[in-house]
Amino acid sequence: MCGGRAGESVFMDAIQIQKVSKQYPGGAQALDGLDLTVRQGEVFGFLGMNGAGKTTTIKMLLGFFPPTYGELKVLGGDPLDSATRRRIGYMPEVANYYGYLSVRELLCFYGRICGMPRSEIRRRSDELVELVGLQDAGRKQLKNFSKGMMQRAGIAQALLHDPELLILDEPLTGLDPLARIQLRDIIVMLKKAGKTVFFSSHELSEAELICDRVGILKNGKLCCCGSITEIAGDGAGNLERIFLRHIQEGIGAP
Amino acid sequence: MKSSAQRVLAVAALAVVDLYRRRDLFVALILAAVVVLPLLSFQFFGMSGIVRYLGEVTLLLVWIFSVAIGVGVAARQIQSEIESRTIFPLLAKPVKRAEILLGKFLGAFAATGSAVVLFYLCFLALFVLKGGGGVNWAIWGQALLFHLLFVLVLTALTLLVSLILTPSATLTICTLVTGGMLLFGETLAGFAAKMPWFLAWLGWGVHALAPHMEFFDLRRQLVHGWPPVELSVSLAVAGYALCYSGVLLLFATVVFQRKKL
Repeated sequence: MCGGRAGESVFMDAIQIQKVSKQYPGGAQALDGLDLTVRQGEVFGFLGMNGAGKTTTIKMLLGFFPPTYGELKVLGGDPLDSATRRRIGYMPEVANYYGYLSVRELLCFYGRICGMPRSEIRRRSDELVELVGLQDAGRKQLKNFSKGMMQRAGIAQALLHDPELLILDEPLTGLDPLARIQLRDIIVMLKKAGKTVFFSSHELSEAELICDRVGILKNGKLCCCGSITEIAGDGAGNLERIFLRHIQEGIGAP
Repeated sequence: MKSSAQRVLAVAALAVVDLYRRRDLFVALILAAVVVLPLLSFQFFGMSGIVRYLGEVTLLLVWIFSVAIGVGVAARQIQSEIESRTIFPLLAKPVKRAEILLGKFLGAFAATGSAVVLFYLCFLALFVLKGGGGVNWAIWGQALLFHLLFVLVLTALTLLVSLILTPSATLTICTLVTGGMLLFGETLAGFAAKMPWFLAWLGWGVHALAPHMEFFDLRRQLVHGWPPVELSVSLAVAGYALCYSGVLLLFATVVFQRKKL
């Protein structure tokens, strides 16, 4: 088990994954007895190679499908329950939204889906469009957006309903350096506001800069988890070296 | 309950916006022009006696176009969301799959229904302009209402099939079933009665389960100026459309709930 703290209330944990396995109908084992706890208010980096099971974990955290075995709780509730999802913001790996809408129309649509009043949608849209730097996009349809602009629109829709937990699937992919810095700043700002951020990434240097803790997934199992200092152990080094060491040598969980 | 309705309506509105922004409505207008122009040209040559025949042809075109638009719009509602992966950020929001499905159904129905109303308005305008006698509003209204009920069933059927089959297979199957029932639905029971017992059972089975699209077809009444269908029959047809669509939507909900994404 990674991250659990004996004697503390379970409500202190934003995400609790206990012995979760996922087997796809074809027989492929995506996750194999995954144990992971993410504390409220922390920025957690979920790292791993392609096919390690990161996206499968995220999809289960969002209630897209249940695990084959094991149990997972998000903010103390079942992610299959829509009331739990009301408290989660999600940005997918591939930023695809309705190409025939403008960014404000997209936010209005998602706001209505979240049950927000119109005045609140308008206020939040104004704030977020400015926050992600899309105020000049105007009525431009999303199909005419660049990849970076789509990612920004994705961040705005994820933050729209002021969620307690933010789940970001490869949020830094495809962003130019300026947008990366902006996203990093947004994540730091969210942390200061007491939000929990859980994100998967390949961008180890970025993860190192913003994460309180990281977990490295290999073949559906967590091979290490903790702060950079904790998982570095005796062998000092940056996250890149730690990652390579764990992936190549397959060191067991601490 | 109120927020659930808000979510359903938001999804439905998206389908209608999609229709407008994709310029599908322009296609509908071009199709309407295709319907209208033959009538105008015949008026030009003063062949007023042919109006009834042209009315029949025009209404046939209206039905063909409504099937094409109805199947096309409904088939892409869920499939395109899955293919383009827009379904994931949507499902991550506090919305139930049943609400998405109902919203998609209402949106597709509204989009196709508006196109059908447009066709009827064009047809009515020409009918009046060409001096086709006094308009029998009762039969016109009834024909339009029945056509909208047809769109209701067609949308539910296509939505269900689109959750099971590929988009191209959905288009083919739904068009064939609809066309087949419009052409042979009326005579299906008669065919079944003349068959050997095992084929007769099959025929009766199809007769019982298949969507009787021919119930909604009032073209003959409209063209020949026949009196409107009795109220009791109209209510029975409306009840059939609502029940059949409801059952199809129920099946679609179960399939969508179980669908792996």
